[in-house]
Amino acid sequence: MGNEKKHGLVSAIIMGLGGAIGFEIFVLLNYAYFNLSGPSVISALFFCGIINITTMLSYSELSAAIPKVGGEYTYTKVAFGGIISFMAGSLRWLASVFGGALAAVVFVEQLGTLFSILLPSIQDLILANAALLIVGIMVILMVLSIRGVEEASTLIVAAFLAIFIIFLAVSITYTLTPQNIVPEASAGSIAGFFATTAYIFPMFVGMRALVAGAPQIKNPGKNVPRALLVSTVLLTVIYFAVAYVAVGVVDPLEVDAGPLLNVAAERIMGTIGGILFALAGIIASVSSMGTAMTVQSSLLGGMSRDGYLPKVLQKVHKRFGTRYIAIIASSLCVIFFGSSGAVVFLGYAASFGSLLVFALVNLSLIKLRRKMPRLDRPFKSPLYPLTPVVGIVMSVLLLIFPLILRDVNAESAIISSLGLVAIVLVTYYLRMVMREIDFNRLRVAVGGISFGSGVTLIVLAPTIASSSLFVIMVLVGVVSIIAGILNILASARKTIS
Amino acid sequence: MKIRRILTAITGIAQGVIGGASMVLALMLYLNILEVQTVFNVPLELLPLYLLILGMFSLFSVISGLYLIREEQG
Repeated sequence: MGNEKKHGLVSAIIMGLGGAIGFEIFVLLNYAYFNLSGPSVISALFFCGIINITTMLSYSELSAAIPKVGGEYTYTKVAFGGIISFMAGSLRWLASVFGGALAAVVFVEQLGTLFSILLPSIQDLILANAALLIVGIMVILMVLSIRGVEEASTLIVAAFLAIFIIFLAVSITYTLTPQNIVPEASAGSIAGFFATTAYIFPMFVGMRALVAGAPQIKNPGKNVPRALLVSTVLLTVIYFAVAYVAVGVVDPLEVDAGPLLNVAAERIMGTIGGILFALAGIIASVSSMGTAMTVQSSLLGGMSRDGYLPKVLQKVHKRFGTRYIAIIASSLCVIFFGSSGAVVFLGYAASFGSLLVFALVNLSLIKLRRKMPRLDRPFKSPLYPLTPVVGIVMSVLLLIFPLILRDVNAESAIISSLGLVAIVLVTYYLRMVMREIDFNRLRVAVGGISFGSGVTLIVLAPTIASSSLFVIMVLVGVVSIIAGILNILASARKTIS
Repeated sequence: MKIRRILTAITGIAQGVIGGASMVLALMLYLNILEVQTVFNVPLELLPLYLLILGMFSLFSVISGLYLIREEQG
């Protein structure tokens, strides 16, 4: 009876909203509004909603046709299998790690904001020990996750909606500044607009929680697509209205005023508003960190079960029945990135990972329509192939535009993401190929990497290093080149013999 | 053959040390020990990227070094 389908349409909508409404709105709007696009952040939110719907249609079709646990990982596995599904699972895991790390940073930021109102003398202490606090909260959550403690997501969604509705209702009495709300048309506005859309996109992606929970929903073929569409529309309207008011009361030049929503809440609702929003931010970030841990351990466990990752990740705690090794491994990664405190980097990195996964999901839909035309599809994405193609094109465009804007945070995030994708590919190659071939192949790969990094170091040394560093870089480069050649030659000798 | 063995041993040890040093540098950058972030003028936004590059480089250097040392020994 444990697998009994019990959620109706309303519960499914709450599930979608619960996955999406979270800490992201408390942090992502800041940089988007103050640094990227100013007032046009409102139109970017609307645009995000439209893009989200195109991909959610693909999710709906896939979740109805393949109502199994695993979401994106399962769809890509059925459509492509092998490297593509491994990549989808890994990217989803990475996006969740970056999202969890961002939530940890937001937790500290909101805690600081709360104490700036209640006990200003403690605020500096909190901000000075941010990394320590992140480690602390993560360890507590890690222990709770291992013990299998569930969160009250429905309650959190209800509390959030209530807070936002109060905020909007009180704002009616407040005079909004009109020039702050109307987007300006300027030369860099298009790139800024798309960069904003890319940056704030994680505010919507949590809705796929509904897809992951599809097996627990009554008549998923009908209810999941309906719930996805309804919750996307509701979410877009809520975000749009909240951002509209916040942008209307805070000037884009007030960069140092504090987090956009908190400042707006304090101006409109007074001290109570500031406290309410800070508390909401704290609860949202803690809840998101908990959810992220569950998602991460489930993904690692799934990929381990399929033989892509070491079996140790499937180990279940004897007493609590949770995958504790996977939880600990994921938590350590979240702590590592969260302690860096690089908010904007984490925002972009989480977004890029999700956008790549969205592109893969849309590709899976196209592939499955061709590969399995007779597959039972209780829901079919309308306007096919337009919707998945638009989803893919938009995902790619959103990846590119922040780079066109030369946003250093975006560049850093995309290079890191590509580096991590490279590690994913190498891991897959080694894991799959090494089953049949001996360690000689690994040695050739390591030798090649060593040789390549040596050459890169020597080529880059004159341009980026000072005189003392130049010598060190060249020496390290030479050692790497020699080591690379020796490893490749030794490997070749063994192959011949 | 003897020269090759000596070269293999020296290169293996050197690369292992370089890998270890890179790891230590990454840790120092991460924890900002001795204000190294300021010394190397590392912007906070680029810190994760620097750590990633250093981490990958040190990992591959240590593996490569260990291969060479193991070959020389055995």
